[in-house]
Amino acid sequence: MIMPLIKGLQITISHMFKKPVTLQYPTERPDVKPGFRGLHALNVSHDKAKCVACYLCPTVCPAKCITVEAGEDQNHDKYAAKYEIDMLRCIFCGYCVEACPVDAIRMTEQFELANYSRADFTYTKDRLLEKK
Amino acid sequence: MVNLTIDGKQVAVEKDATIYDAAKACGIKIPILCHDKKLHPFGGCRMCLVEVEQMKGRLIPACTTPVTEGMIVQTTTDEIVKARKLVLELLLLKHPIDCPVCDAAGDCDLQNLTYEYKVNMNRFVDEKFNHEIDYENPLIERDMNRCIHCGKCARICDEIVSYGAYTFINRGIEAKMGTEFDGPLNCEFCGSCVSVCPVGALNSRPFKFKARWWALQKTKSVCSYCGTGCQLTLGSKDGKVLTTIYDENQGFHNGQLCTRGRFGYQFVNSDKRLTAPMIRKNGNLQEATWEEALAEVTSRLSAGKSDPASVAALATPRLTNEELYLFGKLFRGTVGTDNIDHSAGYAHEALTKGAVASFGVAASPAEIADVQKSNLLLVVKSDAYETHPVIGFEINLGVKRKGIALRIVSDKKGKLTRLPGAKTTVHAPGNEVALFNALCKSVIDQGLAAEGVAGLDALKAAVADATAEKAGVTAEEIAAIAKEFASAEKALIILPIGQGYPGHNAALANAAANLAILTGQYGKEGAGLLIMGEKNNSQGAVDMGIYPKGTGLNAAAIIDGCANGNIKTLFVAGENPVVSYPNRKKVEKALENVEFMVVSDLFLTETAAMADVVLPACSFAEKSGTFTSLGRRVQNVRKAIPAVGLAKSDFDILNALSQALGGARYNNQGEVFTEIAANVPAYKGLTQAGLKDEGAVYPVALSAKLVPAAAQASAPVAGKLTLVTGSALYHCGTMSRFGEGPMYVCPDAYAELNVADAAALKVAEGDQVTVTSGTGAVQVVAKVGKRVPQGVVFSPYHFGEGSVNTITDGSEVTYVTVAKK
Ligand code: SF4
Ligand code: SF4
Ligand code: SF4
Ligand code: SF4
Ligand code: SF4
Ligand code: FES
Repeated sequence: MIMPLIKGLQITISHMFKKPVTLQYPTERPDVKPGFRGLHALNVSHDKAKCVACYLCPTVCPAKCITVEAGEDQNHDKYAAKYEIDMLRCIFCGYCVEACPVDAIRMTEQFELANYSRADFTYTKDRLLEKK
Repeated sequence: MVNLTIDGKQVAVEKDATIYDAAKACGIKIPILCHDKKLHPFGGCRMCLVEVEQMKGRLIPACTTPVTEGMIVQTTTDEIVKARKLVLELLLLKHPIDCPVCDAAGDCDLQNLTYEYKVNMNRFVDEKFNHEIDYENPLIERDMNRCIHCGKCARICDEIVSYGAYTFINRGIEAKMGTEFDGPLNCEFCGSCVSVCPVGALNSRPFKFKARWWALQKTKSVCSYCGTGCQLTLGSKDGKVLTTIYDENQGFHNGQLCTRGRFGYQFVNSDKRLTAPMIRKNGNLQEATWEEALAEVTSRLSAGKSDPASVAALATPRLTNEELYLFGKLFRGTVGTDNIDHSAGYAHEALTKGAVASFGVAASPAEIADVQKSNLLLVVKSDAYETHPVIGFEINLGVKRKGIALRIVSDKKGKLTRLPGAKTTVHAPGNEVALFNALCKSVIDQGLAAEGVAGLDALKAAVADATAEKAGVTAEEIAAIAKEFASAEKALIILPIGQGYPGHNAALANAAANLAILTGQYGKEGAGLLIMGEKNNSQGAVDMGIYPKGTGLNAAAIIDGCANGNIKTLFVAGENPVVSYPNRKKVEKALENVEFMVVSDLFLTETAAMADVVLPACSFAEKSGTFTSLGRRVQNVRKAIPAVGLAKSDFDILNALSQALGGARYNNQGEVFTEIAANVPAYKGLTQAGLKDEGAVYPVALSAKLVPAAAQASAPVAGKLTLVTGSALYHCGTMSRFGEGPMYVCPDAYAELNVADAAALKVAEGDQVTVTSGTGAVQVVAKVGKRVPQGVVFSPYHFGEGSVNTITDGSEVTYVTVAKK
């Protein structure tokens, strides 16, 4: 009876002298590991989104949360007139990134995605465009 | 039959089959790029290489090699796979790898084969082409950098469409699929070339970048323009019809469509569609709820029940059979009026009166399949091609592949005129009946009449003074056609009818039928008379009895009734009399005069804008049901997208009204079809499920009889031109005006003049001209050519602006003067 109690206290006391494992969020920030799958971003090339609206990411997305609508620009080239991800449905699998043939979408380290209204979870092209 | 062995399987095939056909027959797939079952073999791509035991030492193209007895064929040895890989590598040498932006990705034969044959790298390197891309026209984009030189586009345009817009230019590595002088494409825009292009070299611009092939929901349905009844597959996504998809196994036409079927679907998604009911309040149409709108209509119709003669109803032959049946039941049965019609009276008399009198049935005695089984086609009006383009393709194929003789009698020349061996007899407009009478007389005079034809004496008397001169042609021409027609083994008359053709009435149908009956050219395969109704369900409307019977008024008389106050309530389902009926001013006055008019339509048409209640209706893509094509084929129409806005199908509208007025109520359109099958004798035994994809041709029992037809004398008036109205290739009725495709190609009303007349009037192509008749004047753009003979001016009737019906009054010919504005 007494021995197990002492053993338990030992563990408790030893922890009093160890470095804490918790983070004092938000004053302390976690250090995000490589390969972390956070909020998406659209890569930019020549001042516009690299996305060529090939519709591959909406095709592979298991959550069906990507909406792409292609448009034709003045040079008759294809561009994403609309690119939208519904973050409430996204399961952060990263398939969209894998599927992209032109490296137009990636996942950032940003994980603070909480919000108050449903509408705020719709990430439009503007919100996803890589911030310069 | 020839016996051969393919990959160890024994097959027996017809002796004219190729190895490819034989393999296909036993379920072995040989990859192809340049082959198409509808086209003559080409053998250009070498993708289909196979090994034949008897010809060891080299690989043989399966698509061009005929089978021989005892052949032993291997389709997938290591060597063959290696050769096919090489073919792909060579193709990919010049082909840009721009699949992510190419619209064909997902539906590209080259892409699929590259994947299947695991061509992951290329042993060769070379520069890519840098051809300029043709963006000039709004319907077809041509990127020749992606072309793999399969030649399918050129072959289909030449062999089936008979336009010949493309050809290879240059040789060797410089070779390229080019157009006239390598300029931008300018053709009839049927899209056939786009549909067969195995890669993304030819793309449909209206569909450009809209969606990927795999994301489209595919619904098999029937084209809603003309009476040909082409089957098509609608590609839809997110509640919108985005394209029509080519399916070479669909319909009698193997997936061929005309420009309207291929590029005219956009009216379904048009933002001009009506989305909510409207009621006229204080002189203006204002949005209302369905309850209000239907209550208003119900109260007017139930008031009309006590005086049914004051109620009239017009329906468009674009509705489904089920809707038309319900329409008839509601107005003839529940409301009790006989004043119902489905088009401007004269337009369908050929079927409802003419065919009944001559053959005892209100339908064509022939069907579409007869076109290619005939030996001689006699086409009345060369524009059978313009009114029913895919039947034009059938005629092309018959003439070019089977050597069918083609004779045309028309008031103008058209595309059919240019087919090999075609002979066109151009007569003065309005003389069709006189011409057929002259043909009959000639048959009798030449002693070519079939034996024991009933009513021969009466006909002899009636045509006694019919001469070639009266029809405006030479006696030799008449004698030659009469002789050829009578002595052909199987001869078929093709007669297009429609609202645009005043004079294509019962008398003309009788006159044409007389020729067929007199010569015994009916009641057998490949012979008879094909009366081609204008709209997608013209035949169904006739079958459902939507035409005046007994003392009922026809459409023209209904308009008069509105004008003189006898008709107080008018129900219009989808018709647009203001533009499509003759004498626009008169129609407008009449409709203004009618006490209460309700219109159900897709758009706020010129007619709907005058209504007291407007009900938004569904298009064919938003409902299920059946259409009956001109060849009596009953076909399934299937719902592809949900209704636009608050629109309801005419079925729902009529069903609700019927119930409110104490008539029948159905749970769904399928119940109505069951009732049709029980009540309409021709449809006996049909079920919607039983129609499957291919539909069913209902049989007719003919009881032929000669019915003399009186010819109207139409003599030219000095100093005036004869106006011929009709259909333009790109349009059908007034609905195609809401399709972007047809409007890109043919946006405005025009008047087509002969070069000589134009020169005399000092009018040049593109000039604004005023066409004036006794009824009024209209301003249109001039077109100048050699298609119309001197003294004749042709104008299509589809347009709201420059509406040619402002100057017609329904008589067979209208005399006009044309002057530069
Ligand atoms: S991470 Fe997965 S679920 Fe989220 S958008 Fe990409 S593919 Fe869809
Ligand atoms: S896969 Fe890439 S290029 Fe294609 S639509 Fe998605 S982000 Fe754009
Ligand atoms: S659209 Fe039709 S007519 Fe024009 S080039 Fe293609 S096949 Fe020929
Ligand atoms: S454009 Fe298309 S159909 Fe025509 S030759 Fe090239 S690949 Fe073939
Ligand atoms: S021929 Fe008639 S039914 Fe066929 S696609 Fe053209 S308009 Fe449609
Ligand atoms: S498919 Fe046989 S050579 Fe092209």
